[in-house]
Amino acid sequence: MSDKMSDKKVNRRNFFKIVGAAGAAAGVGAVIPRGTRTAKAQKSGNGRAKYDVSPGDLDDYYGFWSGGHSGEIRLIGVPSMREIKRIPVFNKDVGSGWGITDESKALLRGRDAGDTHHVHGSYKNGTYDGKWLFVNDKLNNRMARIRIDYLEVDAILDIPNIQGAHGLFPQRYPETKWVVLNSEFQTPVPNDASNKAAFNNPQEYYGMHTIVDAEKMSIVCQVMVDENLDLAACDYQGKYSMTTSYNIEKGVTISEMLASDYDYMLVFHWGKIRDALRQGKYRMVNGVKVVDGRKGHSDIALRIPVPKNPHGVNISPDGRYAVCCGKVSPTVTVVDLEKIDSAHDGKIKPEECIVAQPYIGLGPLHTTYDGRGNAITSVFIDSTNVKWNIAKAIEAEKQGAKAKEKNPHIVDVLDIHYQVGHIMATMAETKEADGKWLVSLNKISKDRFLNCGPLKPENDQLIDITGEKLKLVHDSPAYIEPHDCIMVRRDIIEPKVQDRYDMFENPLAVTDNSVVRNGNHVTIKMTATAPVFGLQEVRVKQGDEVTLIVTNHDEISDLTNGVAISSYNINFVLGPFQTKSVTFTADKPGVFWVYCTNFCHALHLEMRMRFIVEV
Amino acid sequence: MKDKGKMKRNVIGLIILLVIGSPFVPAAYAKWGFFAHEYKYKLEDVLDANKFTEKKGYWEGYRDNKLVGYVFLSKDWTKDLLGYSGQHLETLIGMDTKGIITRAKLIAHSEPIVLIGLKEENYHKFMEQYSGKNIMQDFSVGKNISLDAVTGATVTAVVQNAIILRSARKVASLTGLIEAHKGPNRKLNKRSVSLTWEELLTSTAIKNLRITSKELGIEGEDIYLDLYFGMVTAPSIGKNVLGEKFYKETIGGPEAGEISIAVFSRGKGSFKGSGFARGGIFDRFSIEQEERVTVFSETDYRILTDIKAKGAPVVQEGGLFKIRQKDFNPADPFRFNLILPYRIGGKKEFRSFKTEYKVPEMFLEQ
Repeated sequence: MSDKMSDKKVNRRNFFKIVGAAGAAAGVGAVIPRGTRTAKAQKSGNGRAKYDVSPGDLDDYYGFWSGGHSGEIRLIGVPSMREIKRIPVFNKDVGSGWGITDESKALLRGRDAGDTHHVHGSYKNGTYDGKWLFVNDKLNNRMARIRIDYLEVDAILDIPNIQGAHGLFPQRYPETKWVVLNSEFQTPVPNDASNKAAFNNPQEYYGMHTIVDAEKMSIVCQVMVDENLDLAACDYQGKYSMTTSYNIEKGVTISEMLASDYDYMLVFHWGKIRDALRQGKYRMVNGVKVVDGRKGHSDIALRIPVPKNPHGVNISPDGRYAVCCGKVSPTVTVVDLEKIDSAHDGKIKPEECIVAQPYIGLGPLHTTYDGRGNAITSVFIDSTNVKWNIAKAIEAEKQGAKAKEKNPHIVDVLDIHYQVGHIMATMAETKEADGKWLVSLNKISKDRFLNCGPLKPENDQLIDITGEKLKLVHDSPAYIEPHDCIMVRRDIIEPKVQDRYDMFENPLAVTDNSVVRNGNHVTIKMTATAPVFGLQEVRVKQGDEVTLIVTNHDEISDLTNGVAISSYNINFVLGPFQTKSVTFTADKPGVFWVYCTNFCHALHLEMRMRFIVEV
Repeated sequence: MKDKGKMKRNVIGLIILLVIGSPFVPAAYAKWGFFAHEYKYKLEDVLDANKFTEKKGYWEGYRDNKLVGYVFLSKDWTKDLLGYSGQHLETLIGMDTKGIITRAKLIAHSEPIVLIGLKEENYHKFMEQYSGKNIMQDFSVGKNISLDAVTGATVTAVVQNAIILRSARKVASLTGLIEAHKGPNRKLNKRSVSLTWEELLTSTAIKNLRITSKELGIEGEDIYLDLYFGMVTAPSIGKNVLGEKFYKETIGGPEAGEISIAVFSRGKGSFKGSGFARGGIFDRFSIEQEERVTVFSETDYRILTDIKAKGAPVVQEGGLFKIRQKDFNPADPFRFNLILPYRIGGKKEFRSFKTEYKVPEMFLEQ
């Protein structure tokens, strides 16, 4: 029989004919034992989504949480809310050796404190591509990149000319070539002795919209503006980046920052930024191209007036609207992004891009989406999550004040515990927003957990958003202090994640054990294969500078070795095929045991060797 | 396949060596490490012959100028099979002209069997069982190959068993003792139809193995292990079991050459066990196609947490297991071997099960 004919045969109807002929039609074979007919777990559904994850089962989403002033990132399984991993970024982590090893020190460059707020993934065509994560450091003005395959930092970029590196967002379309980063604190530019005249003149303090090349992790340019720049967002067409500003006043005290009745949402026009760079319309400051985006100096930034001191700006998954939260105003401002081009070209006024300004509650901060036309906004002062319908808000705005009074857009209001900051739904920052889970990242946990002293955790609350109403299902405590998170479908991340390192990606990878002296510098190259180190003893002289390079030669996944040097304040761990190094001065004479800190083998305790510092 | 110099060196024989990592030793030794054992050997150790003629990958053994059998080194045939240590278990094997193993001798290994209270003698005792076994009959650990001597070292035993069986069968097919793969060269149909779980079961696209507590002698009326498996490279099976997206990502299609089975289970028992966690080898199941045995390692494995087909049960364990052997034909029958450990009181017992499998005719090209 030809292939063509057999292909024709394989369709559902013919299939049953064949099965029937074989005498194995359903019911005849009776091979299905009772009890196996159990329906599949109800994982979807109308306010009754399954949130308990049984032992051995896996979560549906990879949650990436920022760690606030802990300086790290955390990987949380959603919906179980189990913390699966901590990724040290701008901090020192004595467990993994981040901040101890030569490799991590080269990235940290002496600064192991940080403040991470916004972690976002790289995109392709409006959804995550599972390649990188990016995160800001508000404390030391840096941006870090995390590679998804190992889920660890591979680059940290220091960004000059800014302070308060806050809002961060990657380009969403066609793919992430650029990442934008906002400076929330205005400062002199440059902010050094050469510009000391500006120190006492806040009118000469500026905000910066920094554009970073995602692949190279280098700065493309900075757009300098008068305003401070808070949260950031990118559109779904690769045309604009957006931000809110709460200090257009250039105030340096709270009352000054609150002076104006309105502030701005700024929209940066990427085509015009590229033009300025092409035409050489920039000046170099600390090695960075600084483009002038000030009002009256260029038309790169469009300024849409919004009620004073706004906070978050989030784009709806269909790419159509930017929702700007009022913070001091109980409203949000809905901006129609289809009108931005006309406003940029001066055909309409910036405020004409606004299509609705619905009432939400006291202190709206951030907005997320369910992918079904609804937005959910976190409300700080009221301590609620408010679900509202975007189309209904726009419709009411058209009909006028009377229609608006009835708040027809509000679908549900949920009390949370307590005082929410950010809010995020699963896949909500992509065109694939799926409306399954919502996390309310609350700032105060008070009586929600066992009392643990005056310093209490945050409270991340898990909310089922599959139904019409918001349904709180789980509380989980979080240590200092996640600001924001994203939740990415498992099938996007899982195939990218590796079990072992590519050994020779690291040029230092050790294959042969050796000790080589060069003057007073001693290089020790050693393998680790549980339960033995490749060397049983090493001798150096007091005062020698020692570089210890270790490669884990175990191939089995999850077989991690630790390398600790007693009394020398050194510890780091090595995953399968990973190489790390440390450099230190052997200043204390004596016998020091090098031992494995990460349980590796039944003879883990015996996995040690002598490091002898001779007088 | 091999280099002659190396073989000569082996024949000359090596002294027993227990290598303990010492300063400035080459990395290779550090890697073999603390548990490395090597034994000297001669070809006549495993076959009673007085003349050996070297062939490609084996020796012919003659007694009084009459061919009496074959001797071969496992690493020439099954080097890819690695023990708990991550190292091959080097074995010298003798086989007579009828396919009866004359003797199997361990010549090098790094298995840390001492950790579970075993001695080298236990391992050698385990090896003694192979003398007299017919390679065309099945030998499987827990059934006719006893684990008594090496209780606890199931990874080692399973891999050692596969090494002997697979090496011997390969040599046997080369020497004409058994016929190499015959039968029509069937292929999987590329088309797929949408099927429910019940339909996958009734068509035998998915096979079910149910083991009750009762039949194991454990108290209770429950099912100890309810296991399902199937050849998911076949699109009609794979797409329904794994879901279209995951199928595409992991298997692609029959033409892509990714051959995988999916295995799921529920119940108190476990087909995955924990051998793979530290040792990297799944020591409770293997598959066999004609003379070819496949043991799975963690690099062949991807976790599956649910069955996508409509009406499928909730499972506790599941995995997609890649078959890397080039001579495995997904359209041909194979056998799923399971060694199930269980406890009666405090005593550990083993029972082995075999389930025949063939992709149903309607999913093959006609």
